[in-house]
Amino acid sequence: MALVSGPGRAGGGLDGQTLCTQKHVDYIKNLDTRREDLEYWLTEHLRLNGVYWGLTALQLLGQPEALPRDETIAFVLSCQHDCGGFGAAPGHDPHMLYTVSAVQILVGLDAVDELDKDDRGGKQKVAAFIAGLQDKETGCFMGDQWGEQDTRFLYGAFNALSLLGLLDSVDVPKAVSYIQQCENLDGAYGICPGAESHSGQIFTCVAALAIAGRLDLVNKDRLGGWLSERQVDKGGFNGRPEKLEDACYSWWVGSSLAIIDRLHWIDGDKLAGFLLRCQDPDGGGIADRPGNMVDVFHTCFAIAGLSLLKYKGLEEIDPVYCMPKSITSKCLAQ
Amino acid sequence: MSHGIPRYVQERTEEARQQQLRKIEKYQELDKLVHQKIAEHEYTTETLQNISELLTTNPEYYTVWNYRRQVLQHQFSLAASNDSNQIPTLIKNDLMFLIPLLRSFPKCYWIWNYRLWVLDEAKRLLPATVARKFWQEELVLVGKMLSLDSRNFHGWGYRRFVIQSLENLGADEDGKQSRAQEEFEYANKMIGTNLSNFSAWHYRTKLIKRLLDEKSAGDEERKKMLDDELKLIHRALCDPYDQSLWFYHQNLMCTFDTADSAQTMAPNLSTADRLEYLLVEIEEIEEMLDGAEDCKYIYQALINCTLLACKIRGTSSSQDRLNVTKWLSELKTIDPLRSKRWSDLEQRLKTELNDR
Repeated sequence: MALVSGPGRAGGGLDGQTLCTQKHVDYIKNLDTRREDLEYWLTEHLRLNGVYWGLTALQLLGQPEALPRDETIAFVLSCQHDCGGFGAAPGHDPHMLYTVSAVQILVGLDAVDELDKDDRGGKQKVAAFIAGLQDKETGCFMGDQWGEQDTRFLYGAFNALSLLGLLDSVDVPKAVSYIQQCENLDGAYGICPGAESHSGQIFTCVAALAIAGRLDLVNKDRLGGWLSERQVDKGGFNGRPEKLEDACYSWWVGSSLAIIDRLHWIDGDKLAGFLLRCQDPDGGGIADRPGNMVDVFHTCFAIAGLSLLKYKGLEEIDPVYCMPKSITSKCLAQ
Repeated sequence: MSHGIPRYVQERTEEARQQQLRKIEKYQELDKLVHQKIAEHEYTTETLQNISELLTTNPEYYTVWNYRRQVLQHQFSLAASNDSNQIPTLIKNDLMFLIPLLRSFPKCYWIWNYRLWVLDEAKRLLPATVARKFWQEELVLVGKMLSLDSRNFHGWGYRRFVIQSLENLGADEDGKQSRAQEEFEYANKMIGTNLSNFSAWHYRTKLIKRLLDEKSAGDEERKKMLDDELKLIHRALCDPYDQSLWFYHQNLMCTFDTADSAQTMAPNLSTADRLEYLLVEIEEIEEMLDGAEDCKYIYQALINCTLLACKIRGTSSSQDRLNVTKWLSELKTIDPLRSKRWSDLEQRLKTELNDR
């Protein structure tokens, strides 16, 4: 899976546009054939994330089989290290971000059992890698052995561990109290204690609290107010006050609103209209804004945003995991 | 991921294709070379140069940043064992290497993150006075970065981190440890340059509280600070259409809410004080409506303050109810994007206010 942007571009903005489902499926399927683009190689450090973005988009579009299952599983496994963690591509260092994508892909393909083969150590080994990254003092998580801490990694750990049924391998209450320290007076959350509220970080904090069963700690009306103010007149969302709108925030903001039961506080039709204008109706794929280069990251999160809005023909998304609801429900019921 | 890159039509000639293939080949050769050298533990100056070249082509390549750490750690221990006093030079050169990359890719997590690692190594390996100089210079760098993009999320985060580290390194030459005052002035300066900079307002909220806590300020001094802040925000709100200012205003209003006041600059106001402040505030904000009747933030603030006053009193007057209803209906008209938010509030208030 390549993360090469383009060659397409988002449409000119005719209202009344519909989702170009087949174009997007073809766009994602063809990403791996772009090996003659330098950018294909320059984005290798995102490859495993890219597979997750592509797979999720295809699942939501109702065509999960468009990505060959066996090849995909083989690629995921080829990224695993002896420590249990996964890198972005074969030969890349293990890191939380890719380990979470690996787990999400394996769960999405109902292939977690593959971890038991060839002395891989099973899901317990993956969980041990993740658990080893928790800072016992703060409760937050590091990305890898070099120590960067970020609520993105905390959410990632909760996401993957709960999907594997091994959330009890970490100190959940300590992590929850860390999230509380990231809360600001505006009811929203930053990347670490003291940091400015940011929509991406709000998603990680609120979704982690949802996994921990602690949404009672969220000031839902105040946070909902802050999040709803992200919608600008053009219909799209920005990530912080007075910034430009971007299609991927339809996910970070929209899912947070959905988790706290306030998604109806924004204008869903206008948001959908904005997202459809970000499509490339000829080549497929979705961009950050109308007229810009498309890429698989924005394609995934724009489609996920449309799914939150119950756009017709799309599979229902789970706002906490950014995976099809049918898959997470089945996995979490086990 | 591509953010904000306009589309272009790609029509590739055979010549362009060949050129692209040569570039790919060159990149892959370099990539392979670096991997090989690391696999063979060849932590030499030459390897470091290869790594620099690779990272300059692709600064997002996190694994290669890790390789760089490995090589440097090796060189640090060599320098330490032959007592050559080379460590400061190694660190200095490495920090220099990062500058042009940060300029070209100011939003790349891995570069900022790597830079902090180098500086932490300085703290670990060098005497505090020497390490402090390195960290001190970071303030100049991050100041420059934030003047280029005053909302850069990484920049503000980095600034907080640098300040924390400097404070942890102990007192400076003047025997001072806390930098809250200087940072408060910095936030002031940034707000002065652009009133709409919410990152700076946010920083201000945090700093004021720290400043007052550090000097164990009494309630009177805290109240004085609050008065000054209210005056400042009222002056700034001569442009009432700026969302950033209203979020700062909302932060200030938390002082009057017992549910939040513990986290604010004046936690011990009396009930009478809180009410008095809110009534003055409502009056001030109502005046802003003159000529800005279409400004939704004004109605939001009026509702927020009135509901807070009702909460403190434990009762609402018929005038309060009338006002809130009127403002809500204005909001529904001028803020159609969020009309359901306002009708939810309307529903909630129907039960809440009538119960009081």
